[in-house]
Amino acid sequence: MTAQQKISVMINGTMHEAHVEPRTTLADFLRGELALTGTHVGCEHGVCGACTVLLEGRAVRSCLTLAVQVDGASLTTVEGLEEDGKLHPIQQAFVEEHGLQCGFCTPGFLMTVHELLYENPDPSEDEIREALGGQICRCTGYQSILRSVRLAAAKLRNAHVAGSTQHS
Amino acid sequence: MSVQIPKTLEDFPNSAPRWVGRGVPRVEDPHLVTGRTEFIDNVVLPGMLHAAILRSPVAHARIVSIDINEAEKLPGVIAVVTSDDARRWSHPEPTVPEEWGTHCLAGDKVRYVGEPVAAVAAVNRYVAEDAIELIAVDYESLEAVVDPVKAMEPGSPLVIEEKGTNVMLQRVFTWGNVDGAFGDADRVFTEKFRWHRLGANPLETFGVIAQWDPVDESLTLRASVQSATHFGLGRAAVLGLPSNKVRVIAHPHGGSFGGKGGTRGTDVTALLTRKAGGRPVKWIEDRAEYLTGGGGQAWDRHYEVSLAVKNDGRVTGLDVKLLDDMGATGEGFGAISTAKPLASFTGPYAIPVARYDLTIVATNKLPQSPYRGMGPPPHNCVLEQMMDIAARDLDIDPAEFRRTNFIPKDSFPYTIASGNEYDSGDYEAVLDKALALADYGKLRERRDQARAEGRCVGISVVSAIEPGVFDWNAYAIVGVQGTGVPEGATVSIDIMGKISVRVGFALEGQGQYTLATQLVADYFNVGFEDITVVCLDTHSAPPAFGPGGSRLGVALTGAVLGACGKLRLKLAKVAAGLFQMDPEQVDLVDGKLVAKGVAGVEMPMAQVVGTMLARSDLLPPDVDPRPEATHVWTAPGRTEVDEEGRAKSYLTAAQAVHVVMLEVDPETGLVEILEYCVVDDCGTRLNPATVEGQTEGSIAQGVGAALLEEYVYDEQGQILTSSFMDYLLPTVYEVPATKKGIVVTPSPFTPLGAKGCGEGAMHTTPAAILSAINDALAPMGARATEVPASPNRLWTLIRAAQQPAAGE
Amino acid sequence: MKPARFDYAAPDTLGEAVSLLERHADDDVMILAGGQSLVPLLNMRMARPELLVDLNRIAELQYIREDGEWLAIGAMTRKRAVEESDLVRRRQPALLAATRLVGHPQIRNRGTVGGSMAHADPAAEYPALALVLGAELRVVGPGGERSIAADEFFKGYLMTAMEPVEILTEVRVPILAPGTGWSFVEVARRHGDFALGGAAATVRLDASGSFSEVRIVLFGVSGAAVRLGGVEERLVGQRPGDALFREAGATASEGLEEPLSDVHASAEYRRNLAGVLTIRALGEAVARAGGREPGQEERR
Repeated sequence: MTAQQKISVMINGTMHEAHVEPRTTLADFLRGELALTGTHVGCEHGVCGACTVLLEGRAVRSCLTLAVQVDGASLTTVEGLEEDGKLHPIQQAFVEEHGLQCGFCTPGFLMTVHELLYENPDPSEDEIREALGGQICRCTGYQSILRSVRLAAAKLRNAHVAGSTQHS
Repeated sequence: MSVQIPKTLEDFPNSAPRWVGRGVPRVEDPHLVTGRTEFIDNVVLPGMLHAAILRSPVAHARIVSIDINEAEKLPGVIAVVTSDDARRWSHPEPTVPEEWGTHCLAGDKVRYVGEPVAAVAAVNRYVAEDAIELIAVDYESLEAVVDPVKAMEPGSPLVIEEKGTNVMLQRVFTWGNVDGAFGDADRVFTEKFRWHRLGANPLETFGVIAQWDPVDESLTLRASVQSATHFGLGRAAVLGLPSNKVRVIAHPHGGSFGGKGGTRGTDVTALLTRKAGGRPVKWIEDRAEYLTGGGGQAWDRHYEVSLAVKNDGRVTGLDVKLLDDMGATGEGFGAISTAKPLASFTGPYAIPVARYDLTIVATNKLPQSPYRGMGPPPHNCVLEQMMDIAARDLDIDPAEFRRTNFIPKDSFPYTIASGNEYDSGDYEAVLDKALALADYGKLRERRDQARAEGRCVGISVVSAIEPGVFDWNAYAIVGVQGTGVPEGATVSIDIMGKISVRVGFALEGQGQYTLATQLVADYFNVGFEDITVVCLDTHSAPPAFGPGGSRLGVALTGAVLGACGKLRLKLAKVAAGLFQMDPEQVDLVDGKLVAKGVAGVEMPMAQVVGTMLARSDLLPPDVDPRPEATHVWTAPGRTEVDEEGRAKSYLTAAQAVHVVMLEVDPETGLVEILEYCVVDDCGTRLNPATVEGQTEGSIAQGVGAALLEEYVYDEQGQILTSSFMDYLLPTVYEVPATKKGIVVTPSPFTPLGAKGCGEGAMHTTPAAILSAINDALAPMGARATEVPASPNRLWTLIRAAQQPAAGE
Repeated sequence: MKPARFDYAAPDTLGEAVSLLERHADDDVMILAGGQSLVPLLNMRMARPELLVDLNRIAELQYIREDGEWLAIGAMTRKRAVEESDLVRRRQPALLAATRLVGHPQIRNRGTVGGSMAHADPAAEYPALALVLGAELRVVGPGGERSIAADEFFKGYLMTAMEPVEILTEVRVPILAPGTGWSFVEVARRHGDFALGGAAATVRLDASGSFSEVRIVLFGVSGAAVRLGGVEERLVGQRPGDALFREAGATASEGLEEPLSDVHASAEYRRNLAGVLTIRALGEAVARAGGREPGQEERR
């Protein structure tokens, strides 16, 4: 039996130490070991995108990453989006624009949109599509998700403007 | 005084309803966007084990032996089950048609790739999967039956030997003088079509936690299940348990679309928990299991369709011959999908007579399951192709050809040839709105100009009916018994005036808890924050079926408003006692109990409730002291089935017209959708935003059906599409943005006039896309008759059409 | 869908990785780069190594540098880094174009340049790109370092010239010479899918407007990315034009050996596609050689 390996990983600002079998996927580690069950598993071969999390700020498939690989890394999952018990503007935008139905794919979409909007606050339609192309939603037909992303971008830009006004 | 269910918002005891009819944000969403919703795989029970199922790698083989010794010895393995356990503790799976089932674990032979053969419960899923690799199964290969036509031939290998045939059902239904209509027709058009297997593929697969109680021999099932009551009854029958010894706790689930499946895997998991002495066992179906052995395959159809037409453009008869390849057994209830087309057999058209020649055949493939629309989508697709073929031959514009044949708006309720009654509609209004929205004249100009440039561009105008609010009687022709599908809700007010709505179904994605909240908020004049909706288990929930057959919005509205109405009467009676007045003189108005016509005599609802809860000594003697009421709604006026399968089955008939323009790349066969317009009439829209979501989502699934999605089996019955690399779901790139319009013709038969709309555009989109492809191909004399219209198929057609020219 | 057991090592340096592979030369070892192709195979238990050697901690294998006439790219450089590299955008736009066709951003965030080369999937973009640009692949093993030309590196379906104990360390891509036209086109059933077929081309025109250099590579249509040497030879010295492209397409189509057939497309379809893509790639490359952007043209 393969020895377990010790890993330390920062998740949503909290340091976790654990012993994992090398074969444990990051998705299973998050869900099974840390009870961070907001990250969902839809296909386990990297196509659907439901399990997408942020690894050092980048959207990656947690089903295609091994838990041992994130030793020393910093991760954000959907549980890390809320601030002070309030929905993140991206989450709020998905609610307002009905960007979800069953909601199973939604955490993956939110993480992908988070990466997109923090790198590119005012994305074009093509850029939004490019980011979402790797996330499958079976319920909405994507139109409401596109609307949600546009609204989220506007919310974040406004928040940024408001924030900088305050600072100055 | 009997309970009145409001027909319109004006009937609410509220002078200013705020919520029903508005696209309010969903109460479900804050939990979903934060990842807090309790999907089944999030649940961990003390001592819980994890299951893995060993599945057949071959389509048809005798099982010579199964050796589980090595698996049992693996550390961490607690229980291993095989067909011995299945025979000891279970019966064959219930099926449609009846008696086409086998045990949940294969015994003497395997009948399809992916069939469960053995299963393991272990400390985690990784170890469970290690263990199933240690189970040695010796198979003796048998010839597989993969082609349904060959399956019907004498001497074909038999999927289930005891049946003596592979034909599950064969019958011809004739509605009216069909031979006469075809004899009198000016023109008769006939074409064959092939609709390949596809299916639901919700993003969450099926999952269950089964826990056996060895003391009172009962079973608790926590599951991502669409219809908990129905599911529980089926499990009790299979597992040989009294129906009150199976308790189902439905969990919110990540989509279903009819194809959540999970029955057989649940039965296997039930065997495991029993063998493990009652430790809970979780089985989460993985995607490969879902694709090869789950509830995700539907509609494997071979059609031959004829249309009788008069020279003036009237369609006078429809003759549909269907051969459906059901797979190895009837356990997925997929055969229901061959019966449902009766609910809208002739579409939105006044076609007076029709015939349905139906054959269902068993082959060595995964048993079919339901999928969104339950059968009409392929039927509509072939009917609409025939309409186009006729219109083209008669040189009539496809929009006008449909207009000529529409059921006129003054003839509702209208009984169609196959027996169902359509409630209401204004099909021409929908068509006109769609043509205007699409700017149809200009669209044709654009197409013609593109054609002049040598491009392969086509337009479609198609229409279809979405039957809503299903009833079991619609499936009588394939052996489903009974009439009537209940939906119940309990509305309860606590001493703080907060309201709970208790239902028997879990969240699935259509926003039904929001709908219940809208209704109750408006009825009692309270805010969303004062209301909570909870799902009870099958031991305590009111009678319920849950989502399915485009019914829940209508049925839940009836249940909730019925319960509200009963509670209103109860509160009025109590208040009347306190006011020392006659109950008839007191009513609920704007959330208060008021004496009619007596100014100033009123009491807040919470005070009345408080009296009920604390001072039963003050209540009139015949008043139940609980401040709650339950109503169970069923569709009114459903009828028994006659000898030709005819009945009033689905209560509502929504209608839609889609106008599509697309381009086919003749060099590659790739299709690009250029314009997509949809106008639909599903009666009153209780939450327009969620209705729009159903429309957009079902268009996406229709695009997948038309262009991408297909399960492929080879000649040995091996499935070649066992991953999302090969079974292609539409992405944001493939689904078009749509222009949308609405027409509202309220249903006279439903609360508030809403019609079933959940299955939505799936009824129309595949037809619309295939029709537009055929318009694009028409100038070169080619016709696509297979769905999905893959690049390979379209290119092959185009090449064949171009070959004579190339040879010159 | 859970991986079978394996041992795991994540060396911090290339040297450690090499000696690890040498020590385990007799074991069933697999190298983990970005994992976007390998981990699905692990999850499905279609790959079951005894030891997985993870290169992700080797910082020295992540870089993009200009090195004379070459771009030198560390094998563990993420595709997303290539996509975001100003150097790549300026010096080798064909690499950028090919990169953007690989999967989706979430895949490119993990997937590496070296991983795609070493995996040698016949429908993958990078091997085709390496072939058309004449890339060099540097590998290191117990016997030291060697450089392998792309033409020699790809040996067939999922096969390369690397020994099991060797590690791909660097991919060297020539900087696009001024005046060179290029194209990278593919046909996929969905955006981001492995291609049903694709073509890459680079062309140079002489003063008279005739082809002086042509390279064309097809991928996804047969067992490995393939260079169309015969077609290239026939084009050199000719003036570009639709008729010539059609002739080249016909030759490419007819000459295609053992086209792939699968659930998405038949061999006949891919044979046809070989011709169609050859024509489209030549058209695009010639347009760029003439200073025009093919994107400006009407979609056909």
